[in-house]
Amino acid sequence: MGRKILIIEDDRETASYLVRGLTEEGHSIEHVTDGQDGLFRASDGSFDLIIADRMLPKLDGLSVVRALRAAKVATPVLILSALATVGDRIEGLEGGSDDYLVKPFSFAELLARAHALFRRSDARPTTADPRIIVEDLEIDPLSRSVRRGDRKIELKPREYLLLEYFARNAGKVVTRTMLLEQVWDYHFDPGTNVIDVHVSRLRRKLEEGFDQPLLRTVRGAGYMLSA
Amino acid sequence: MLAGLLALATNLALIGFIQWRTYDESESTLRRQVTQQAHVLADVFHSGGRDALEDAIDDTLDPDDPQAGAAILDRGGHLDYGNINYVPGPGESFGQGYRPALISLQGSATPHEAGLYLQRMPHGAWLANARIAGEGLALRNTLQRSLLVGIALSLLLGIACGLVVARYVGQRVRAIGEVAARIGGGDLDQRVPLNRSGDAFEGLALQINAMLDRIGTLMGELRMLTDTLAHDLRSPLGRLRAAADAAIGADSAEERDQFLSNILQQCDSLMRILTTILEIARTESFASRKQFASFDAASLGAELAEMYEPLAEEAGARLTFEQSGSGFALNGHRQLLAQALSNLIENALNHGRAGKQITVFTKRSGDYLSLGVRDRGPGVPADRREQACQRFGRLDSSRTSGGAGLGLTLARSIAHLHAGELVLDDAKPGLIASLELPITGEATFD
Repeated sequence: MGRKILIIEDDRETASYLVRGLTEEGHSIEHVTDGQDGLFRASDGSFDLIIADRMLPKLDGLSVVRALRAAKVATPVLILSALATVGDRIEGLEGGSDDYLVKPFSFAELLARAHALFRRSDARPTTADPRIIVEDLEIDPLSRSVRRGDRKIELKPREYLLLEYFARNAGKVVTRTMLLEQVWDYHFDPGTNVIDVHVSRLRRKLEEGFDQPLLRTVRGAGYMLSA
Repeated sequence: MLAGLLALATNLALIGFIQWRTYDESESTLRRQVTQQAHVLADVFHSGGRDALEDAIDDTLDPDDPQAGAAILDRGGHLDYGNINYVPGPGESFGQGYRPALISLQGSATPHEAGLYLQRMPHGAWLANARIAGEGLALRNTLQRSLLVGIALSLLLGIACGLVVARYVGQRVRAIGEVAARIGGGDLDQRVPLNRSGDAFEGLALQINAMLDRIGTLMGELRMLTDTLAHDLRSPLGRLRAAADAAIGADSAEERDQFLSNILQQCDSLMRILTTILEIARTESFASRKQFASFDAASLGAELAEMYEPLAEEAGARLTFEQSGSGFALNGHRQLLAQALSNLIENALNHGRAGKQITVFTKRSGDYLSLGVRDRGPGVPADRREQACQRFGRLDSSRTSGGAGLGLTLARSIAHLHAGELVLDDAKPGLIASLELPITGEATFD
């Protein structure tokens, strides 16, 4: 499912890395090198995603986002930046951008986040049924109950939140940083594999006694919930 | 100069005022005297006639009182009896009453300023009484002279004072200027000299010195940062190089892939170290206080405990959360405190897991909030606790897990950001590492 992506990046190497990688994934890419051009191209709201560097000539990335939001353009924006401190990340997320990725980044991480952002703008639930169904897994967000097949699965509150996030991003890669940010709301970088252990506990509860694995590890990227 | 000008201006004003008043004074005295005398002589004339008047005039003309004038003038205004010679000037004319006039007294040709009182007499004659304004004039002149001397003196004094003050001020300002110039030239150790005078300059000097101290501290830390950075990144970079080398010489694609993965991991680890160092520097500059907001410190502790519990279990330890006291609303940086606490927990997991029990706690006592971790491991000997908190100060040179050597340093910077302190203590046995934060609103950034 190819999307229209606008890349606003003045660094040649990063830009070509992004353009090449995303084109290979089947998306149609447009690339501009300064903030003013970017704002101009983005203002018709025709893109599915905008990837913008924070430091840009003529108009910086955060200002571009602020201008877009002021003009009621709702296109999701992912900010790229070498500014990596907690304070910088918080600053980067204020003003209307949807995600913040620190350079250097792995392409898998970028891709995973891009997909999560596509999903966000897609997911306007039109059906009256709030349940989330992935393979034989059934999740009811209202009662927070989980069933797999005919068996009820007991989850601790945090485990449930983790599962719900996976389920809403089913079939797509979810990185550890995304989990830390979305499920725990923390924007620092823990040195240890603290997230991994939570995921393996969840996996054990979901897969024990079943033939089909459901929660996969994607090497070099993160995890994915799917068959 | 300014002082001199001011002195001059005040003096002129003073002189003007005094002159005006004394003139008035002497003028009215003169008038009174002359008028009184005139009435007396008039009474004498009415009661005793011309002869009595002439006698009275003779009495008035006392050689001891050379300014007194009394006379009978004829119809033409000429002297008939007495000593007054009066020629009305242009615009003046003979008429009843008092007027200032120029008269000359018998025996002196020069006319003097005087007060003159004229009264009509029978047959067109005039009774004239006068007094020369000698006294008042003399007084005025004396005053004028002394005032002029006064001006001159105060001008001199003003200039002198101005010079003294200017020199003092100039000296102090110049001293500060010199220190500033030397500091600008690179010598940060300079300080403004104090002379304990207790005045405003002293206060200014103290403030400037305090500012220089702070700048010096920050510069020192920056120097240390770049020094240790250069030093401590050598090992990871060396390992990276070695892995790349090995990858080149790998026998199989599989082996090569393994080395390449390893390289990726090392790169990530390096990035983390760099980011942590930046985080420390940024935190120490107190810039993040702008992002302070109110949140529940107890729920932060509980959340982090819950987050690390599985990892602790894998490491063979039990991690629990403990809350004591009440009132945990804190104005601070939730994300940074989470980072700090997470560093403390990871530290406990790395070094204290042998004790099997790790407790994350939030405690409120009095004006302080304690956010920390207690373990039952080997602890840190008291004399090495400071070293543990310093940049890259590791107590054992075991493998770096992405900036673990900086974990306590960052935690301490974050404590400072909140006007608090990182405290390491003996848990007997084990280590208590806690962030002691004041909770009475001192953490707000103005």
